[in-house]
Amino acid sequence: MTGRVCRGCGGTDIELDAARGDAVCTGCGSVLEDNIIVSEVQFVENSGGGSSAVGQFVSLDGAGKTPTLGGGFHVNLGKESRAQTLQNGRRQIHHLGNQLQLNQHCLDTAFNFFKMAVSKHLTRGRKMAHVIAACLYLVCRTEGTPHMLLDLSDLLQVNVYVLGKTFLLLARELCINAPAIVPAGRDGVRRKCCTDGGPSLHLSRSTPGSTVPRAGRPLQTERAFPSLGRSAFTAALRQLCDPCLYIPRFAHLLEFGDKNHEVSMTALRLLQRMKRDWMHTGRRPSGLCGAALLVAARMHDFRRTVKEVISVVKVCESTLRKRLTEFEDTPTSQLTVDEFMKVDLEEECDPPSYTAGQRKLRMKQLEQVLSKQLEEVEGEISSYQDAIEIELENSRPKAKGALASLTKDGSVEDTTSSLFGEEDAEDEELEAAASHLNKDFYQELLGGGLPGSAEAAGGPEGGGGPPALESLLGPLPTAASLGISDSIRECISSQSRDPKDASGDGELDLSGIDDLEIDRYILNEAEARVKAELWMRENAEYLREQREKEARIAKERELGIYKEHKPKKSCKRREPIQASTAGEAIEKMLEQKKISSKINYSVLRGLDSKGGAGPRREHARPQETAGARRLSRRKAPASTSGADPVAGVRKRLRPMVSTQPAKKVAVGEALLPSPPSLEAEPVRPTSAVVVESGPVSYHPEEDADEEDPDEEDGEPCVSALQMMGGNDYGCDGDDDDGY
Amino acid sequence: MDADSDVALDILITNVVCVFRTRCHLNLRKIALEGANVIYKRDVGKVLMKLRKPRITATIWSSGKIICTGATSEEEAKFGARRLARSLQKLGFQVIFTDFKVVNVLAVCNMPFEIRLPEFTKNNRPHASYEPELHPAVCYRIKSLRATLQIFSTGSITVTGPNVKAVATAVEQVYPFVFESRKEIL
Repeated sequence: MTGRVCRGCGGTDIELDAARGDAVCTGCGSVLEDNIIVSEVQFVENSGGGSSAVGQFVSLDGAGKTPTLGGGFHVNLGKESRAQTLQNGRRQIHHLGNQLQLNQHCLDTAFNFFKMAVSKHLTRGRKMAHVIAACLYLVCRTEGTPHMLLDLSDLLQVNVYVLGKTFLLLARELCINAPAIVPAGRDGVRRKCCTDGGPSLHLSRSTPGSTVPRAGRPLQTERAFPSLGRSAFTAALRQLCDPCLYIPRFAHLLEFGDKNHEVSMTALRLLQRMKRDWMHTGRRPSGLCGAALLVAARMHDFRRTVKEVISVVKVCESTLRKRLTEFEDTPTSQLTVDEFMKVDLEEECDPPSYTAGQRKLRMKQLEQVLSKQLEEVEGEISSYQDAIEIELENSRPKAKGALASLTKDGSVEDTTSSLFGEEDAEDEELEAAASHLNKDFYQELLGGGLPGSAEAAGGPEGGGGPPALESLLGPLPTAASLGISDSIRECISSQSRDPKDASGDGELDLSGIDDLEIDRYILNEAEARVKAELWMRENAEYLREQREKEARIAKERELGIYKEHKPKKSCKRREPIQASTAGEAIEKMLEQKKISSKINYSVLRGLDSKGGAGPRREHARPQETAGARRLSRRKAPASTSGADPVAGVRKRLRPMVSTQPAKKVAVGEALLPSPPSLEAEPVRPTSAVVVESGPVSYHPEEDADEEDPDEEDGEPCVSALQMMGGNDYGCDGDDDDGY
Repeated sequence: MDADSDVALDILITNVVCVFRTRCHLNLRKIALEGANVIYKRDVGKVLMKLRKPRITATIWSSGKIICTGATSEEEAKFGARRLARSLQKLGFQVIFTDFKVVNVLAVCNMPFEIRLPEFTKNNRPHASYEPELHPAVCYRIKSLRATLQIFSTGSITVTGPNVKAVATAVEQVYPFVFESRKEIL
């Protein structure tokens, strides 16, 4: 402001008049600035004689346009939806965050995440509580605080998987990599404190640097976790997914009284042992925890049943039992209580899955050995089989028809199958060999003929796979040859078939489908009746509900109050209007929107040419008093783009009306077409008085404009921005389109 | 598998899901009454029909859309679907077998070694996601194949993909990464 140069004469002598808010050059007299915004503090006199400063506190975020005089009971009245959501979210974040003891920085970060989520519309269709919890958990992860999703779900009483789903979605949408939590223990990485079990911990708490050599345990831990410090037991520094984290919490819930600490320590030692025995990877930490606590409780003569432990730890009974059996398999379980406290076994066990895997491997090896032996036996048998078959061929009468030959094969088959029956029927290779032999035989005999009888006789199998032994015994010929020929046929015809299918010819390929079996699927009359009875009985309740509902609807229809519950139409997003000129934009918008009958279109169309003073004059009065904030807010999102003079006028009225919340409520929401202009009068002078207390000093000027309708014609051309309520353009934040 | 020279991995297909359409309206009530192996769920408006031969469960809607699950190979799925259509034909509907498509294939594969999941997740950041609080396996998504693999610490891998080929390719692709983060048993 000081040291400015006049545009007209170049002089530097500029006079500032604070009262009028002008900056005038004393040389040539040109006005350089008017409407200077002053930042002086003004004082008014109270009814007690004292004076107080004029002004209001404006919040950091939020529109800050609601001066609440006389109480803040209408605190959310003046804001638009987006600001309300953010304010609501902030409040909830703080509420939850305080319960988790998060510091202010974390809460602010969480609020930023929330703002991002809202701007990406991720809060739509989701409970706000879930989104808030996800934001908070995201912060916990990025900051590395020892809070778990389980904590949040406990606080909110929400299923942890639901929260997890929301959290994963949020992390993905916001492109935030939640740092993975490394489970502590085995690797010895990123451990900030140690978890010494046993009484040694007492010592370490009082003397942080002490190295009390106790037989076995502490030295072991140092060796196992060399990077550990021997700092005190602080749960806050625990890593996630470390079952040790859960122990104090669960122990507290199980109410061990005075011996709580001792039991916790014992359980911790047990957990350490479990970790070294590889029981903890890939397992839910709470399961291990439950097992450790159960054993620890028993060791200290507390009778805690499995059921109690389960209700606290929230795992299934079978899980707990499994953990206990796994622990039982480790050599540590053989120690007595005292021994366990004193000594720590050197050796480590293999993980239970590994031992299971080893067992499987051994089984497989055994099987392989067996199968090899079987193969040898098979070789012998096949040679016998060949001999037998040749004999039978010679001895039996020659085949008269194909069927006769088939029966001969059947008997041959029977003998072979009876031979095989002794062996392990499950052996795949055996079956494969048998079918292979049979197949060769059939292909010789059948020579591709007799598909019909074969079809009727054999239930065909799915395209590949060795036929079961039963089918060898059963009707012949087996599906081996049939299946193959079938699939060959399919392969040949598939090329011709596929285009047909694609084109929608849809001929059902009946090859390989056994009609007889399908017939078995269809019930006859009596069976159908029985089944209908059964079904009715089963679903009686559902049917009853349906009948009641229909009766209710019929009754309502009679009374004429039946409300059709139409499925909610999802509001479709409207394309933003692309227009080159303001007039075009207005036209397009009018086409889209449902048009009000109160707009004078001829005037609107002439907007471009004129300065726009016309419509203002006509609508200033009708909308003066009725320009309720809510109404204008509702219409504001609709005017997504383009100059909407109607809304603009309403917006301009807002500053005037908002200062009278009581009056506004009285006026109501309806757009009164012709309110008495008298109402305008009392509004104006009183608002003039109040407005002075407002932060922005443009109010009196606007009021001056409204007061004289006659003057409006002669006014200099008003800019479009001003018409649209340009002065409060920024504050609104018209980014809540369709929100 | 050509990717690993020494070991041949067995990929076992456990489930194949397919859909097809009969271009005709199906009267569910009739099917429910006359079929021996059907469950009628009236509240959701579908019928479950189970076949024994290829062990298949089919969900039938009245619009004629049918989903078939439970097959162990693509051919079996098609075969089962055709049998199903045949049985519907026998019940009296003018069934046309169209738009057969295999939608999902679920397979299981076992690695001969165990896997360190946190290390694996760290090395494969964008694709792998591991939330031990929610699920004990790492979820590895391959966008190009539209396949998802669930990798467990025991070395067992569950793959789902749009067809058998994609599933095989997915296992091939992920094998080197998994091999990097394996647990050496001393």
